[in-house]
Amino acid sequence: MTKEEMQNNSKTPKEAEEYRQQVVIPLLQHRGPICEPLVDVEDNLLIGQKIGECDSDYAAQVHSSISGHIIAIEERPHPSCVKKPSIIIESNGTNGSINFKTCTNPSKEYIFDTLQDSGIVELDGYPVFNTLTSKKIIDTVLVNLTYPSDANSNCTSDNIPKIIEGMKLLMKASDAEGVFIVNKTDGQLSSSIRSSLNGDNIKIINTKRNYIPLMNNLLAHDMTGIRISNRDTPADAGVMISSAYGALAVSKAVLEGIPPIEVNVTVSGAVKNPMINTVSIGTSFKDAIQSSGGYLGEPGKIIMNGILSGTAQATDEVPVIKSTTEITVQSIDEVVRDKPGPCIHCGRCVDVCPVNILPGRIASFSDIGRYDECSKLHVHSCVDCGLCDYVCPSSRHILQLIRFARTALIRLFNIPEEKESPNLKLGCESCETPCDIGTTSVTQGGTK
Amino acid sequence: MKLSVSNPPHIKQGVTVKTIMWSKIAILVAVGLMAVFVFGLSALAMILVSTISAVLTEAGIQKMTKQELTIKDGDAVSIGILIALLLPSTVPLWIPAIGAFFGVALVKHAFGGLGSTLFNPAIAAWVFMNMSWGALTKVSSVSHIGSASYNILFLGKYSDIIFESGAGMLAEVSSFILVIGGLYLIYKKYIDWRIPSSFVVTTVVMALLLGEDLSYVITGMLFLGVFILATETATSPITKNGRFIYGLLCGVLTIMYGFISSNYVVAVLYAVFFANAVAPFIEKNTSPKPVDEVAL
Repeated sequence: MTKEEMQNNSKTPKEAEEYRQQVVIPLLQHRGPICEPLVDVEDNLLIGQKIGECDSDYAAQVHSSISGHIIAIEERPHPSCVKKPSIIIESNGTNGSINFKTCTNPSKEYIFDTLQDSGIVELDGYPVFNTLTSKKIIDTVLVNLTYPSDANSNCTSDNIPKIIEGMKLLMKASDAEGVFIVNKTDGQLSSSIRSSLNGDNIKIINTKRNYIPLMNNLLAHDMTGIRISNRDTPADAGVMISSAYGALAVSKAVLEGIPPIEVNVTVSGAVKNPMINTVSIGTSFKDAIQSSGGYLGEPGKIIMNGILSGTAQATDEVPVIKSTTEITVQSIDEVVRDKPGPCIHCGRCVDVCPVNILPGRIASFSDIGRYDECSKLHVHSCVDCGLCDYVCPSSRHILQLIRFARTALIRLFNIPEEKESPNLKLGCESCETPCDIGTTSVTQGGTK
Repeated sequence: MKLSVSNPPHIKQGVTVKTIMWSKIAILVAVGLMAVFVFGLSALAMILVSTISAVLTEAGIQKMTKQELTIKDGDAVSIGILIALLLPSTVPLWIPAIGAFFGVALVKHAFGGLGSTLFNPAIAAWVFMNMSWGALTKVSSVSHIGSASYNILFLGKYSDIIFESGAGMLAEVSSFILVIGGLYLIYKKYIDWRIPSSFVVTTVVMALLLGEDLSYVITGMLFLGVFILATETATSPITKNGRFIYGLLCGVLTIMYGFISSNYVVAVLYAVFFANAVAPFIEKNTSPKPVDEVAL
């Protein structure tokens, strides 16, 4: 593992040790229930030791990423949903780890067993094991390399053979064909994959569009032509979608026995030395940014997973989690503070919408509280790509209003016991998952 | 350290309403300058009076209703210039002044201001002026430049495309500028390509089918209609298919009016005007089907 670190990161192990003195590992890093801690305060831990588990259909175990002892188990800021119970581990400065079981030619059962234990989570939050064992027949494994944050961080030339290995393991586990999805404009990536394939039965398909993890259903639809309802997953179309990160984690877990304890993170934007870092899970954003030379000027916004669809962070104390691929820092001047104007019905949002809805219209209805109309206009089909908001000439907060309407609709039908208006409990919708922090005002591009 | 939290996206493309409006105004100004060259200073006076009237009307209304002043977004300016461009150079100056007032006050602001208009303010104002003072706005002016001296590139009767010598209204002086400008707007994606393409194709195909002389059909006004008037955002449908149908309807109405009255200039304006009226219905019936909608 140290070797791996050396390849991606020009730091000496000693330096790397310094910035991971303390890690905060959230017990929720996937879609599903929060894991139960398996350890207690003051316990000593080794790298790779399992520290959290839950018994649910959607389960992803949590492992310790450093060796040291636990100083607390408490609620800490989480990068995608305000505060979640986390395990705080302080390093003891050694590299002691559990015995990682390596395997060169794993059987199908072995793959399933290791994946169940390793708790690999795809970038959209779904555990890989869960997708493999859902009772649906999977005939294609797609590895999506069009998500810019993920492709930048993980598709380095060293990693491509490993990604192919991981993909083959997934193909073996599900008896499926393999296809790489690469953006048309990214010719370099396609050719470097093609040269590493050596005649394996894996296709490369070029697409015009970049697919973010939330657009997995759309990707499956575009590849197979099967329409998938927004309540279903790509598995319903016989497709399993993995990312470069997911394939890499699978190959590491199965072949080297290492559960996901590190992620490759691109630190970009207003930092002194933008680079791809390999950081332990649980490292705070502050430390990750520090290892890229620190802030350039005063930071105005810290964004996880891409400037177009990522989540802005309220603090830089939040930890790096399994699905973190990019940390972008914006300086204060770069922060968008446009004032929304009236909709001029130019239809630019309609032109860019990947799922064929009318984003501007939905936003206008959401603005006046007509959530019923939003529902009729298919607000639930939205995949949160943020393109409509990006192109809007009137700077309307289309994505925020769409999320607002969606949460309002969910709460309208879900809170029978509370007698107050559901409008009062709506948050700012900045996070990926709705929270109960009690923010009552809608922050529209302003400060916190 | 104070961090901002907001929803994605955390970046904007940088194309604003202002950018779109002022690019359109740049094209209209180019056409206006050409008109001044052809018709003389009376054209300049008309454009100035109309623009000033439109801007003052907007400022007055926004002051009275205590709204934020939005002169800078350029909508009032573009309405003002357009109204002047839709008139012949012989009209008395009070007509564009009243027309601009009507367009901005009653067609734009009475219906909710920018983005909420039912009809294109410039066309509605033109219809109002034409109805009220038909004799004064009648196109009778003939360019003071002889057509023979401007037979550019020996294109024969088609030289009018570059430099219309027999223009009636100010806007008709140069199809060429409008086409270049319109294509630039499409290239920059400031206007949609669907409406112009289906409008032009429908008009030309129908004219050929009916055996009309294309030099009558293809006028400066047609291109003003195609690139500037029909693509006015608030009055055209937002759905993709709707925009095709809207352009098609504009084309059909142009040919219908023009074939019967043999006045293809006025035909474009009435065609867009009536297409505006049905645009909401087109939009309603062409709602796209979302990708994830599963057939029951």
